Amino acid sequence: MNRRKFLTFMGSAGVISALGTAKVAKAGVHTFPYYPDSYGVLHDTTRCIGCRRCEEACNIVNKLPKPKKPFTDTTVTGTKRRTSAYAWTVVNKYNVNGKDFFRKLQCFHCNDPACASACFAKCFQKQPDGSVTYDGSQCVGCRYCMIACPFYVPGFQYDEAFDPLVQKCTFCEPRLKEGKLPGCVEACPMDALTFGRRSDLLNVARARIAENPGKYVNYIYGEHDAGGTAWMVLAPAVSPASQEQDSKASEEKTANHEDEFKQLGLDRHLGTQPMGELTYGALGAVPMIVAFWPVLFGGAYAISKRREARYKAEKEAHIEATKNDLAAAVDAAVRKIEETQGPGAADTARRAMAEALKSREAASAAENGEDK
Amino acid sequence: MRNGTVLLLLAALVLAGAACLTAPGTGSASAATVASTDSGAPSAIVMFPVSAKPNPKGSAMTPTVFNHLNHEKAIEKCETCHHTGDPVACGTCHTVEGKAEGKFVTLERAMHATDIHKRTDQNTPSSCVSCHAKQTRERQECAGCHAILTPRHDAAWCATCHNAKGSMTHQQLRAGIEGTLPLEENEAIAAKAEQAQKPNRLLTPMHGPYKVSIDALSEKYLPSNFTHRRHVSSLMERIRNDKLARAFHNSPAVLCSTCHHRSPLSAKPPKCGSCHTKEIDRMHPNRPNLKAAYHLQCMGCHKGMNVSRPKDTDCTTCHKARP
Repeated sequence: MNRRKFLTFMGSAGVISALGTAKVAKAGVHTFPYYPDSYGVLHDTTRCIGCRRCEEACNIVNKLPKPKKPFTDTTVTGTKRRTSAYAWTVVNKYNVNGKDFFRKLQCFHCNDPACASACFAKCFQKQPDGSVTYDGSQCVGCRYCMIACPFYVPGFQYDEAFDPLVQKCTFCEPRLKEGKLPGCVEACPMDALTFGRRSDLLNVARARIAENPGKYVNYIYGEHDAGGTAWMVLAPAVSPASQEQDSKASEEKTANHEDEFKQLGLDRHLGTQPMGELTYGALGAVPMIVAFWPVLFGGAYAISKRREARYKAEKEAHIEATKNDLAAAVDAAVRKIEETQGPGAADTARRAMAEALKSREAASAAENGEDK
Repeated sequence: MRNGTVLLLLAALVLAGAACLTAPGTGSASAATVASTDSGAPSAIVMFPVSAKPNPKGSAMTPTVFNHLNHEKAIEKCETCHHTGDPVACGTCHTVEGKAEGKFVTLERAMHATDIHKRTDQNTPSSCVSCHAKQTRERQECAGCHAILTPRHDAAWCATCHNAKGSMTHQQLRAGIEGTLPLEENEAIAAKAEQAQKPNRLLTPMHGPYKVSIDALSEKYLPSNFTHRRHVSSLMERIRNDKLARAFHNSPAVLCSTCHHRSPLSAKPPKCGSCHTKEIDRMHPNRPNLKAAYHLQCMGCHKGMNVSRPKDTDCTTCHKARP
C-alpha cells in the first residue's frame, strides 16, 4: 500500500466515522417502535382488596413452585414484598393518608423497556402485543436487566447451579395467543385489573376519573411514566386525616396528589423519558468505536512502522556506501605503499588499517548501543 | 242533652273551619305556619336568577324556594354560606352575569361549583351543590350509597330545587329577576310554596323481596343468601328523618337505584346478570363482570359506611364454601 492509497482509505474511513457520529447524535431523540394496538392492563387500586387471588392464579398458570405460606394468608401483604424468580406478582398493602390500600406489582411491560436496553445479549424484546418477553437461550446471567429495571421486577434463579435464568411476568403471552386473559386478570374477583388495548384503557381510566369525582387522583400512572407502560395504575384520592388545617390545605392540593402515588410506592421521579434514553447515546457509539478505531490506530501503526523501515534501509545503504568508500581508500593507500615500499610493508599497512577500522566500528557500536 | 253535645261539637267544627278558610286571606298566615328563625332572617325565601340585563319577557331559570330555617339549623356558622361574613342575599354580589362585587363569580357558579379553591386568607365559600355533596360523602348514613354512585345531573335533579315557578305570577317572576320584588311578597310566595310541598313517597322495604339467593355464579362457594329486606330497611331507617335525604330522594324507586343502577327507575329492576356477563364483555371492557359487579357494589357500600365486618377477604361469611 502506498501513501496515496492509504490516505484515500483513511479519508473514506473518516466519512464513515462522521456518519457514525451522526447516528449517535440521533440517538438523543430515539423512539422505540410504538405498537398502537398493543395490550395493557389497568390496575384500579381503589378496588383491590388484597385477596392475593392474582398471585395464586399467576402461580398456577405459570407452574411456579408453591410458596411456603399459602395464598389464603393475607397478612403477608403487610410486608413490602418484591417480585422474584418464583413470584412474578405480589400484592402489598400501603397506607395512604391513614387508609389501607393494596397495590399489585408485576412487570409493567414498558413501551421502551429498560431491561431490553441494558441487555447486550438481546434477551428482552418488546412484542407488538404489548408484552416484554424474555428469551433465556442467550442469557449470560449478568443481571444488568435487574439493575436497569426502574421497578425492580426481574428476579434471578439464584438457587440454580446450572444455567440460572432471569424470570419475570410474561403478560401470560402464551395465554394471550390462545385468546385467554392473563391469569391474574381472570382471577381478580373485583375487576381491579382491566385488560384491553392500551389506547382503550386510557379512555377507560379517564372515564372512571370523570364519573367518580373525588374518588381518584387525576393521574394515570404509566401513561407517560418511564416512557409509558402497558400496565397502568389508578390511585385513590384520600384527603389527609387532619382536615382541620383548612388554611394550610391550599398548597397541599397539588402536592397531595403526588403524595398519594408516593404513598402507594409509585414514585413519579422516573420522568417521562424511557430509561434507555439515558444510555442510548453512549451505547450507540460502541459499534462506531469497534468498527473505526482498529482501522485508525492500525493505520497509524502501519505508517510509523513503514517510515521506520525506510529509514533503516536508507541508513544501511549509507553505511554500505561509507564502507565501500573506506575499502576503496584503504585499497588505494595499500597499492601506493606496495609501489613505493614493497609488498611486505603493504601487508603490514593493510592489517593495521583493517584492525584500526574494526576497533573504531566496535567503539561506535558500543557508543550507539544496539543498532538494528 | 246528647243532642246538645253534638250541636256544640258541630258549632265548634264550623267555627274552626271558618277560621281556617279566612286565615290565608289575612296575609299573616305565612308567619304562623312556617316557624321563624333564631337569626331573624326570613324562614323561607324565593331565590330569583337576579340579572342586571333588561329582560322584558322574564325568561330565566326557574327560581328556587330556599328554606333558610332548615339550613340554618343544619350548619354551625352563618359564614359557611355567607362567606364574606356579611349576611346579605347571594344575589347582591352574584348575578346571572356576575359583577365586580362578586369577583365575577356568576350566580350559577356560586350555587353549583364543586371545584372550589381552598382560600388561605379568608373563609372558603361553599356552594349549595358542594356542601350537599360533602354531606353525602362524609355522613356515614349517606356515604354507603354515595360512595358507589354519583347522582345523574339530569332534569329531575335540577327540578329538586328549581321548582318555584308554579307558585307565583309572571309579574312577580319578572320583578324578582329585576330585584324589585318586595321582601314581604317574596316571603309570602316562599311560605306558600313550602306549605304546598308534599313529602316524596318512597317504596318501602316491603315492596322488595325478603331474601334473594344470589346463585348465578356458585361454583367454588354455595349461593349467597342476601337479606334484601334487612339491608333496605336498615338503610332507610337511618335516613328516615333526614331532611336532605327526603328532599333529594325524589322518586319512589330512587333508593333502589344505588344497586339496581343504570336502568330506568322501577320497582322491578332487571337482574344484574342481564348486563354483567360472567366473562368480561369484550365490547365493554369498563363494565365489570358479574362476580366483580356484585363484589364492587357490596364492598363499595360497606366500605363507604365503614362496616367493619365482614372483612373484604372473608369470603365464606357471605357465601359458604362448597362442601
